[in-house]
Amino acid sequence: MAEHINSRPPQANEMSQQAAGCKLHPLVDYQFDRSWQQELQSRISRNGPWDDWTLFKLAVEAQEAQAIATFDEMQCLRSLPALQPMPHQLSTAGKVVHEMGGRAILADEVGLGKTIEAGLVLKEYMVRGLVKRALILVPASLVLQWVRELNQKFGIAAVAQKKTHMWHYDVVVASIDTAKREPHRELLLNSDFDMLVIDEAHKLKNKKTTNYQFVTQLRKKYCLLLTATPVQNNLDELYNLITLLKPGQLGGQSEFAANFVVDKRMPKNEEQLHEALSTVMIRNRRGDGGIHFTKRIVKNIPIQLSPEEMALYNGVTGFVKEQYDRSGGDLTSMLSLVTLQREVCSSRDAVFLTLVNLFKKTAEDSPLRPKIWELVDQIKQITANTKAEKALELINQMNEKVILFTEYRATQEYLLQFFRSHNLIAVPYRGGMNRGKKDWMMDLFRGRAQVLIATEAGGEGINLQFCHHMINFDLPWNPMRVEQRIGRVHRLGQTEDVKIYNLCTIGTIEEYIVNLLHEKINLFELVIGELDHILERFEKEEQPLEKTIAKMMLESAGSTELKARFDQLGSSLGELRGKPPLDMMEDTTDKAKAQAAIGALLNRVSQEVEVRP
Amino acid sequence: MNQKQVHRFVQQYLESTGCHIIEKSPAHFVVKLSPEADRMLTNRPYYWSFVDRTGAEPETMSFLLVTDKEKYELSQQAADAAVSTDNAPASGSTPRTAGTVTGTPPLSPGASVQAAVNSALARSYGIVPSQLLSTPRLPRDDVHFGSKRLLQLFDAVQSRGSYVYLFQEPDTRSRSPFQSTPYTPWLGVNLKVEFQCDRKREELYSFGVSLATGHCRELFHEQLSSLKMTPRLPSNVHIAPAGITLNKAIHIVEMTLERKLKAQCYRWAEEAQQRLDEEQKIVSHYYDKLLQSADEELKAEITRQYDSRKAEIDWQYRPRVTATAINCGIFHLQGIE
Repeated sequence: MAEHINSRPPQANEMSQQAAGCKLHPLVDYQFDRSWQQELQSRISRNGPWDDWTLFKLAVEAQEAQAIATFDEMQCLRSLPALQPMPHQLSTAGKVVHEMGGRAILADEVGLGKTIEAGLVLKEYMVRGLVKRALILVPASLVLQWVRELNQKFGIAAVAQKKTHMWHYDVVVASIDTAKREPHRELLLNSDFDMLVIDEAHKLKNKKTTNYQFVTQLRKKYCLLLTATPVQNNLDELYNLITLLKPGQLGGQSEFAANFVVDKRMPKNEEQLHEALSTVMIRNRRGDGGIHFTKRIVKNIPIQLSPEEMALYNGVTGFVKEQYDRSGGDLTSMLSLVTLQREVCSSRDAVFLTLVNLFKKTAEDSPLRPKIWELVDQIKQITANTKAEKALELINQMNEKVILFTEYRATQEYLLQFFRSHNLIAVPYRGGMNRGKKDWMMDLFRGRAQVLIATEAGGEGINLQFCHHMINFDLPWNPMRVEQRIGRVHRLGQTEDVKIYNLCTIGTIEEYIVNLLHEKINLFELVIGELDHILERFEKEEQPLEKTIAKMMLESAGSTELKARFDQLGSSLGELRGKPPLDMMEDTTDKAKAQAAIGALLNRVSQEVEVRP
Repeated sequence: MNQKQVHRFVQQYLESTGCHIIEKSPAHFVVKLSPEADRMLTNRPYYWSFVDRTGAEPETMSFLLVTDKEKYELSQQAADAAVSTDNAPASGSTPRTAGTVTGTPPLSPGASVQAAVNSALARSYGIVPSQLLSTPRLPRDDVHFGSKRLLQLFDAVQSRGSYVYLFQEPDTRSRSPFQSTPYTPWLGVNLKVEFQCDRKREELYSFGVSLATGHCRELFHEQLSSLKMTPRLPSNVHIAPAGITLNKAIHIVEMTLERKLKAQCYRWAEEAQQRLDEEQKIVSHYYDKLLQSADEELKAEITRQYDSRKAEIDWQYRPRVTATAINCGIFHLQGIE
């Protein structure tokens, strides 16, 4: 109970009779809550009921423990023993609360934890009792993720808005597109929110959109706008964003244009602009070499197919080519056939399913039917899966957690069965599972299963830093998907070198694909983001890589020609690697110049931070 | 609040609400709640209304409350290790080890049914959740400062510890059975004062006013908390007659607090007002310009926005102080004052 010595003489009307509402200081209103007095009176006159002395003392102890002693110190961390925010996240949250009055644009680069910063600010205000009702507007795809993070990391009882009555909960996460529609709109515009948080706020850069106007009209005390790209092409975007947060902070539109902008795009008076920005915006970016990823160690495992499996492969390949030739080189209708070609490298189960479906679709008198049946017969000849056996052997050798990726559901099912029959605990993971089941599978994998068999690498929530072995049972023809797979394991938080095993069957197209991705693009060791550049440039001139590959395969007369064409593709991709990114190549245009200037401005506003995995 | 304080707090709550503590260590409690505590903590209003209406015997819930996670988990690991070495010769005869994947053959018919169930589950899920199936439900809660459970306990003690009427337990040694001890009734109030602008801090006050003389003591709760109190009037005690009314005593509390608050430093409020004025100036500058150049039909909308923005700033920054009572009561203490 700190008391401050006063330099000010006591006020004249000291014996005021109206304690319930008066002034302590010319600027300070004072309210004294009297509701307890009546309750005490009435309990005395009714002679009870009276509460327990121990609970009375505990109530005081609880209040003492929760009391906020100072204006300045961050209080929320005492309540969050499990959370270990990075230093820049803490300092950002502190700055928002103590220097910016709780209204700010959080503009960190991707991956530096804007959500954590926003969560810290929200929690701090909630712990201090300054925020009770909060509204969090995010893109629909991120709603559940926000709810989870707020609940798990911050102990904030946030709910995802699903029914109209849920708007009355204290902390609601919703998609902005839902919120702005009636009947929700009316309801929200008639509420007061202690805090409003908007994720992906760069979508609000246009003043004329309904989203922008809706957010302007919401009544809010504190407000956070989160975006990694506060300005992209045009300084007006930044102006609009700040006007949404604090109208007038950069003056009126014309003043802003006159003071800070040349030719619509180029900033001027950068010193003052910088100063004005730093009162409403915080941007952290990665320092040079700030991120230290562990190494990737790639190993290709060559596999010799059994004669029966090879026969099936050749049979399917022949079938696919024959159909392609007959159709006259029309690639679009060949989709299911190309799938067949890819599946045959994975497992017989995958091919079987597609063949049966194909069989059902063809007319009863079609000449295709006997051919398909022939292939099915070939499948029946196969008794063992060489690849699966090799995978089992690998996993047993490692004796550690492994994630195994396959493209096909049928292969996944087969492997689950196969591993189980060899006393290896494996759990499945696929895109079609609902959130709860996905989480459950993750928990099982973390806990007692040695292997996770996944068909899906994309999507949120599959962060597997605790595992550093990965097997590509089959390889997608789209390199981005491969990169996505690796990214699940090789990311911030991974402390071990990541070992990647590619299973590749000799004498099949898989061999070429592995060779292309590994030797030619060196995909597995690329710096993060580099693959994007290569593919962007490649696809500018040609069609998507997986289509190119499909075409090559269908059109080549024999394995020599196929090999030659793969080599050619490899070397053209290799050339693209060395070139600088696209956007740097055309910096003769005004647009690029303006972007460079805007980028420089952003860099001035921002501060570099060290990020360790 | 550190872990020890949390632990003591939880223990005092459980004991004073009559819960049955089944097992405890300095790091955890296993507790079967009393009906009173169950109503407060388990959020089962439908169940309790069912019990109240039908008069059924209530079945309260049990919890594992962990107040020191690290210590508890260490001790669990140690216990598990001890169990598994003990059981090694008995090869899976306890339900505990039935779930582990050792592949030991089941011994009894019951175990073989269990194994069949497990393998059926294993076929669909790839995992045997036998731990879940074989033991009764004992939800675990990690109770630390800031955890939901502790906040709930804070609310519970607040609602069940608000108004008291108590007598100090007489000191038995110094009492003669022929002499009556004089007691004075006191009004005791604990108050929370919140100083708020866009930021906030709090102070707690505790006052006691003698209903005999009107004398006002500060830090009253601190003086009480070491005393033994009882809800019943002790024998051989006489209460001093009230010299002032309860209303007068309440007024004395209000005045004393107000005087103390007025004597404080209000630099923070002046600074907040300055921020408020600056923000208002920026906003006026922006909207006045906008209004000048705006089309007639837009003016109404702009004015509306202008007003709402001004109100927001006022809401955000305006300095204010509020005082609320945490709890209060009448305390009869030994002696005349």
